[in-house]
Amino acid sequence: MSDSVTVLIPTALRPQVGDQEQISVPGDSVKQVLATLNTQFPDFGKRLFKGDDELNRFINVYVNDEDIRFMDNLDTPVKPGDELSIVPAIAGG
Amino acid sequence: MPHDLDRYHRQMLLPGFGEQGQQKLADATAFVVGCGALGTVIANMLARAGVGHLIIADRDFIELTNLQRQVLFDETDVRDGIPKAEAAKRKLATINSQVRVDAIVDDINHKNIEQLIRAGDTDIPDILIDGVDNFETRFLVNDVAVKHAIPYIYGGAVGTVGMSYAILPHAIPGATNTPPWQTAGAATPCLRCIFEQAPPPGMNPTCDTAGVLGPVVSIIANYQVNEALKVLTGNYDAVCPTMLSIDTWQNTYKQFKVRRAYDVAECPCCKQRSFEHLDGKWSSATTTLCGRNAVQLSQQPADPANRRKLDFDEIANRLKAHGQVTANKFMLRADIKDNGTDYELTLFTDGRAIVKGTKEPNTAKNIYAKYIGA
Repeated sequence: MSDSVTVLIPTALRPQVGDQEQISVPGDSVKQVLATLNTQFPDFGKRLFKGDDELNRFINVYVNDEDIRFMDNLDTPVKPGDELSIVPAIAGG
Repeated sequence: MPHDLDRYHRQMLLPGFGEQGQQKLADATAFVVGCGALGTVIANMLARAGVGHLIIADRDFIELTNLQRQVLFDETDVRDGIPKAEAAKRKLATINSQVRVDAIVDDINHKNIEQLIRAGDTDIPDILIDGVDNFETRFLVNDVAVKHAIPYIYGGAVGTVGMSYAILPHAIPGATNTPPWQTAGAATPCLRCIFEQAPPPGMNPTCDTAGVLGPVVSIIANYQVNEALKVLTGNYDAVCPTMLSIDTWQNTYKQFKVRRAYDVAECPCCKQRSFEHLDGKWSSATTTLCGRNAVQLSQQPADPANRRKLDFDEIANRLKAHGQVTANKFMLRADIKDNGTDYELTLFTDGRAIVKGTKEPNTAKNIYAKYIGA
């Protein structure tokens, strides 16, 4: 969908979204996009959020490679064609 | 050209190296924290590059399933039951006899890390390089890096994904010397500026539950060495200021911008200089259970900001490939065969665990890190 944001799903969370690597989601803000995903895939939302409006602090969200914490957090605006990356800390080694 | 630098001729031809850069490597001490998949590649390449002094710390022994990706070890090491750090030291001596290697076979924790980094009569090392498999140790190393202004190269890999990032800490407040990387305008946010908290136990897959692709670990480890060589030769402006994130199976390569994190975030570590991990605030505790051939692991005190019950369904799903798993709403019990030894892992919803089948705290911590993750 050209009017959507592309959400890149990390490997660790793919089982919660039917093993999809990326999902096209419409929305004007990060909050809207993630809320849509949360409705569609509640297990995914449970991993991402620790409250209604707060992300878990071991997961970062980037819009076009910029950390949303240093923009407007969940209110960061997005436009069609943007790429939203969900990036959990990687522990292995 | 001094004779002992001859072997590095092809490296000295590179821009930013020369004889001067090579001599800096020869005079440098690197502390490799953990000697598994990342650590063996890191130690191997640092020794070949001519870093004069390596300190390698690891608490573990070599298993047959390590050989797929842990490049310094072979079947003889498995058969002889050699600890990883010691086996690495022996192998590196045959690769480059000019390099001094100190092996530390010990668990690294908040009580000993500041002594261990000074192993072998060195002052503090010139760089800390991450080869560990858990965030408890990573945040500990990050605390040490920021407290003493030592560069720290983070790396992590699991499955087919990996991540790396070079931390060049900002100056210690009140210190007379500004670190040369800061003078060069290359200081970067610390690991806690980027990831405020460690993932809770059981949240993420581990190499032992999700598997790990040899090349992705090797790529990340070599990337860490790449950044370390820039730091150790004084080429600070060449150090990558972004965080690398790759999935070599899905062909994604990304560089996330993180520089603003230091300016904007109120990081407890590098802004407030509160070294909570080094102070033991979040460390796990082990207790050998008398007469039971078992060790209890009390997980980090639940951070109110991060408190959640473990997802037993998901953990059971991951562990079922290793043996029988049963769970109820209070606890999960799994039979695990690890390196030929049978263990019974009992896990409680708050992350506390009892590992039956050993009296050794380090073995129990290993089992926990490998199968539950932290």
